[in-house]
Amino acid sequence: MSKDEQRIRTAEHWARKIRLDIIDMCCRVGPERKAHPGGALSAADIVAALYFDKMRIDPDTPQWPDRDRFILSKGHTCPVLYAALANRGYFSKDLYGTLRRVDGNLQGHPDMRKTPGVDMTTGSLGHGLAAGAGIAMSAKIDRKDFRVFVLLGDGELQEGLVWESAMASPRLGLTNLTVIIDINRLQSGGSVEQILPLHPLREKWASFGWNTIEINGHHMEEILAALDLAVLEQERPTAILARTVKGKGVKFMEDDNSWHQRTLTEEEYCLAVKMLESGGSA
Amino acid sequence: MKNPRVELKTVYGEVLVELGADNPDIFVVEADLMKASGSKPFLENYPDRHINVGVAEQNLVGIAAGIAAAGGIPFACTMANFMAKRACDQVAMSVAYNMFNVKLVGCYAGLTQEKNGGTHISFMDIGVMRSMPGMTVLVPGDSEEFRQAVRAASVFQGPVYIRMPKLLQGSLPGKTYEFEIGPCYQYGNGNDLTVIATGLATDIALDSLQVLEEAGIAARVLHVPTIKPLDTESVIRCARETRACITIEDHATVGGLGGLIAETLTAACPVPLARIGMQDAFGLTADLEFQLEHFGITASHVAAEAIRLLDGRGQNE
Ligand SMILES: Cc1ncc(C[n+]2csc(CCOP(=O)(O)OP(=O)(O)O)c2C)c(N)n1
Ligand SMILES: [Mg+2]
Repeated sequence: MSKDEQRIRTAEHWARKIRLDIIDMCCRVGPERKAHPGGALSAADIVAALYFDKMRIDPDTPQWPDRDRFILSKGHTCPVLYAALANRGYFSKDLYGTLRRVDGNLQGHPDMRKTPGVDMTTGSLGHGLAAGAGIAMSAKIDRKDFRVFVLLGDGELQEGLVWESAMASPRLGLTNLTVIIDINRLQSGGSVEQILPLHPLREKWASFGWNTIEINGHHMEEILAALDLAVLEQERPTAILARTVKGKGVKFMEDDNSWHQRTLTEEEYCLAVKMLESGGSA
Repeated sequence: MKNPRVELKTVYGEVLVELGADNPDIFVVEADLMKASGSKPFLENYPDRHINVGVAEQNLVGIAAGIAAAGGIPFACTMANFMAKRACDQVAMSVAYNMFNVKLVGCYAGLTQEKNGGTHISFMDIGVMRSMPGMTVLVPGDSEEFRQAVRAASVFQGPVYIRMPKLLQGSLPGKTYEFEIGPCYQYGNGNDLTVIATGLATDIALDSLQVLEEAGIAARVLHVPTIKPLDTESVIRCARETRACITIEDHATVGGLGGLIAETLTAACPVPLARIGMQDAFGLTADLEFQLEHFGITASHVAAEAIRLLDGRGQNE
């Protein structure tokens, strides 16, 4: 296997593990509480690529000042982040059972004061890019070489604040800032296209001064290549537009927005495990 | 308190459809949360007058203000948390400043946001909204009152905020009135203590009457569904007729009913006062009952505070 192939296979391996853990958490959370599996699964490949390939991090030192940062701006999909952090060794998988429990480490939306490895508290949509720009700006001023990655939802792009930060970041010269947009074409109330279409999305970001890259957000080779390009870019912040499928990897959840926020039954969980174990993630 | 059972989104959907049939000026504006607000029946009946602006609360309120500027009566709904915090400037400048006829509905309000947790629980919407000059602020105590509040808001001229928890009791026990904007409603006649309550806390206050009686304290409950303009006359009268007051709400006492009553009584009729509610804290990731217990929004806490305020001495003793 070539070195590149090795990278791809490794990231894919972890994406599969992350998906299994997402459905585990979203089943274990129970019918009284509901987590958000759909948007967690659509982001699994991207988050796996970041935590198991691209990001410079040290799970033993979550507060390491020179670490790369990741902000899950679409905070409701936190099971994908928790699964990545646990698999990367930030905390034990025993904590999965605390999802959405009072005083649990795994809150219903990422809480940087409660969960080791979470770099920014989110939940109210639209905040992540501004915070990411602030962190990236600090790195520039302090002449540090760490990078900031921000994952946004496509529905989330309807928040005006996203565009305020999108306008400011190129002006601030934030070449160390990368935005990844999880374009799963669904939001809470249904289809983004029907509620408030975003296209031409690439042109929008480009016209704001961003380096833009369009990829299939489930194709690991494309994800890694795009992240490599983002790091190489010397002049502009980078926006990666990732086409994805909500619920990706579990056939009966794919493109079905009833899984935006819903708990898996035991049977659904078992079926989902089978699908994930046989299907692979690409 | 019996677990609240009626989902207000069902009520909201029904009443909007009725209003839409009677009045072609009624508009409904949403920000991707129709599943929480329940306005889908209105969309099905009057698609031309239903607008979903996407996940964009500032735009939601701004567009509602524009609709009102052109003569319409928009009902704009999002989670109370985002209405009060994200769209605060739009509420102030575009709606309140112009005294526009916009109806703001904050859904999943207070602790009924439950397991969405601290980032989503609205503990300051009453405070934000009542600080807006000219805003009428309604905090219904049961689902009937919520229905009547939405109806009343539709014919009221001027900006209105309606607090909409996820669930409320169908009907408060022993109710003898039909809700109108303005008055407070009194339950019982005890002369030791007035428990002043709003929203879902009124049901808890009513439960406390029994506990208080067992402790030898004769109390009354003053239910405040109109936070603004406050029926100060009733509040001051009750304060004068009893020896102490306790406020109770599922909201921060700072800015909330507690703050309001403290402001009112300090100026007009200072009496011993305790304020029950969230104290300088964000909400938790937990179900309603747990959070009520955690923040002391309970009948037993009312009794404990009453005994403290009255030095253990009820009139009946
Ligand atoms: C400011 C704000 N408004 C509304 C919500 C409620 N909400 C949670 S998820 C969601 C839809 C998000 O859609 P998208 O960004 O596409 O996420 P995904 O499809 O990945 O789940 C909404 C409106 C929120 N969390 N924050
Ligand atoms: Mg989406």
